[in-house]
Amino acid sequence: MAYFELENISFSYDESAEGGETKKVIDGVSLEIEKGSFVCVLGHNGSGKSTLAKILNLVLTPTSGRLVIGGKEVSGPEISEDEIFDIRRRIGMVFQNPDNQLVTTIVEEDVAFGPENLGVDPEEIRQRVDSALQTVGMSEYAKHSTHQLSGGQKQRVAIAGVLAMQPECIIFDESTAMLDPIGRRDIMSTIEYLNREREITVIHITHNMDEAVRADRIIVINDGKIYLDGTAKEVFSSVEKLRRVGLDVPQVTDLFYDLSPYLDLPSGVIDIEEGAAVLADRLKNGKA
Amino acid sequence: MGKLEIRDVSYIYGKDTPFEKLALDRVNAEFCDNCITGLIGHTGCGKSTLVQLLNGLLVPTQGKVFLDGQDINAKSVNRRELRFRVGLVFQYPEYQLFEETVQADIAFGPKNMGLDSEETARRVLSALHFVGLDETLLTVSPFDLSGGQKRRVAIAGVMAMQPEVLILDEPAAGLDPIGREEILGGIKSYQRARNSSVIIVSHSMEDMARYSDNIVVMSHGTVTAQGTCRDIFSNHELLTDAGLSIPQVTAFLAALRKNGIDVSKDIFTVDDAVKEIRSYMLRERNRA
Amino acid sequence: MLKDITMGQFFPGESLLHKMNPSLKIIATVLYIVAVFLCKSAAAFAFIFTITVLIIIVSGVPAKVILRSVRPLIFILVFTTVYNVFFTKGDTLLFSLGFVRVYREGVFNAVLIAVRILCLLVGSSVVLTYTTSPIMLTDGLETLLKPLTWIGVDVHTFAMMMSIALRFIPTLIEETDKIISAQKARGADFESGNLIRRARALIPILVPLFASSIRHAVDLATAMECRCYRGGRGRTKMTTLRPDAADWIVLLFFALLIPAAILLNVYVPFFSI
Repeated sequence: MAYFELENISFSYDESAEGGETKKVIDGVSLEIEKGSFVCVLGHNGSGKSTLAKILNLVLTPTSGRLVIGGKEVSGPEISEDEIFDIRRRIGMVFQNPDNQLVTTIVEEDVAFGPENLGVDPEEIRQRVDSALQTVGMSEYAKHSTHQLSGGQKQRVAIAGVLAMQPECIIFDESTAMLDPIGRRDIMSTIEYLNREREITVIHITHNMDEAVRADRIIVINDGKIYLDGTAKEVFSSVEKLRRVGLDVPQVTDLFYDLSPYLDLPSGVIDIEEGAAVLADRLKNGKA
Repeated sequence: MGKLEIRDVSYIYGKDTPFEKLALDRVNAEFCDNCITGLIGHTGCGKSTLVQLLNGLLVPTQGKVFLDGQDINAKSVNRRELRFRVGLVFQYPEYQLFEETVQADIAFGPKNMGLDSEETARRVLSALHFVGLDETLLTVSPFDLSGGQKRRVAIAGVMAMQPEVLILDEPAAGLDPIGREEILGGIKSYQRARNSSVIIVSHSMEDMARYSDNIVVMSHGTVTAQGTCRDIFSNHELLTDAGLSIPQVTAFLAALRKNGIDVSKDIFTVDDAVKEIRSYMLRERNRA
Repeated sequence: MLKDITMGQFFPGESLLHKMNPSLKIIATVLYIVAVFLCKSAAAFAFIFTITVLIIIVSGVPAKVILRSVRPLIFILVFTTVYNVFFTKGDTLLFSLGFVRVYREGVFNAVLIAVRILCLLVGSSVVLTYTTSPIMLTDGLETLLKPLTWIGVDVHTFAMMMSIALRFIPTLIEETDKIISAQKARGADFESGNLIRRARALIPILVPLFASSIRHAVDLATAMECRCYRGGRGRTKMTTLRPDAADWIVLLFFALLIPAAILLNVYVPFFSI
């Protein structure tokens, strides 16, 4: 069943007051996202991908179009504040800059912030905080001060803060962009765990191709429109199209593409081992 | 002898306080003249401390730093002039912009050097071209630019001082593929045009394989290896020990060799890999 | 470096003071400060000094940290000491050098006032800031100020603002350090020239700092909204703060400092100021 249903969604920042033109940041996007899926949204800076994410948990209200979340339409004007907050609880969001999303100074107090806002019973908050910290592997840091943590650790605390609100879906808005390779790896494995084991729907916004290949589905946004949509294999087959909108492909995919005039090779190869076996086979059997 | 050399350098943060921390431990390294050196290592390995020692912002607790064979911390050396000779661009430099126009911000460094307005204007223009920005932006407020443009203005601000050595700490961090290429390409063309020395701190092996001539590897506060790209990237064990990964394409060729295809292991970019595989095909055909 | 400032920092621990209810701790701090100010005689000062040392030991805050926090005070201490030694007139002249006359009373005044300043700043920061996490501190304040909601003061928002401000102090200090280094690398000169020039030299630091504060604020506001923050309405707390018997005993101890100081002033009045 589709968890998100977007029908012709558009969004523009109202700049008429400043005399600027109203440019559509999101331009007629229609799409469905399945419950429990792991979707990656790719796009260069300014393509509208972060705006799309903010529409999905109603931090921004679409200018036009119809948005249905969990079978209930939420884009109409009659939606109440309580309903909006319920959507935000169900669809958590982790942002890019770890420093700008931690509200308090002590790790466990920060994780408690969300459930506290929801008015959850203190004893239950305690349980949720402990289990959320355990899930992201930060239990031993519960009493630590947040500003002494590394970037990757801060992001894990931010994820725990979202988990403590018991969400159905988590949107990662370039949450790995400011991290080093080790931090990225930690966050990616946490994301995969949440998706596979906890069945949380994940929408991961990034421009890192190596992260994107791990998703079930990749949506490429360009100029506020859907540019490509499919599995990693399908999307990375369109090397030319991706390059045209300023996106990279993994080096292996790139290599296969560049070799394709000389060898009969499959497109959209993303895995090193698989690719090496295929290429070795072609080279040995000389199907040039 | 190198342009910049460090000998037996140690650095301790917060010496004689309860928060004392050894950041660098008897480091020896050499940075070549008229070329690009990539400084790589995991987070917390001491890279950022090292670059601040190179232009005298930090003074080594022990050991010496030499620029053209002269001890930069000798009493006879003027600190401020040293910083004009060794320019340093910090991580996320866009956060240091403050002037009303792009022109004024780039001119801040040259003006501090005491250059006249004609020379300053000339340097501002030339720096602007290296980072690939349009002259029409000169009169715009830096706060109205996009993130990637701001980054480029900040880099131009240090390039305009025309230092003998230009050091950049993670210049492409957090940018999309096009942004990365524009900035790193701009730095390379600057280096080639001015025949100066450039040091780039990075943890992207793929980027360093493409843009640098030499590599210095750091791990846990020491330099564990230095040499040409070929020396370093062919030593997989060394990189893994330093918590780093080899470029994906290099790993791919290793997998190809495992599949019985005799290709070189000294390949670090996709272009070279294409050439190598084509020449393998030729070799095989000639043999047949 | 700015990072070296420890005043106002929190040192996690398990001491009696760490565990104390923050509201009562704030009251205890006020009582302590009043007691220090009431001290007049040498005996009273000796008493309060001993108590302060005792508090430090109980708190478990490392002596090194305390000594370091005293460092920024040295100037004030030296200034008041010199001022008191040279400018207090008394009966017993110790020695005179030209027009400077040093009286015994001056020396005693100097010592006692120095002790007062030291106790005041070190003691209150040990009782309060070193042993209380900022969030507990604002929680305590929120509880204490709750009665003000009856006259229309939004105590929750005030407390939230305080705790966010505290949360961003280390971040902004780090950023200031970074901006200063970055501008130095571009040849900014903060150390020479007259006052106006030096003030102008601060612009390259203040503008980026201001811009980044706004960026932090905007991002944080969105993040808080995403975590369902909607003011104090319907909000619960993970740790509800109910003072237990031990807290009341500690408070009583601090309350007793006041009569103790007064009694010492009256019954052992030697060398009073």
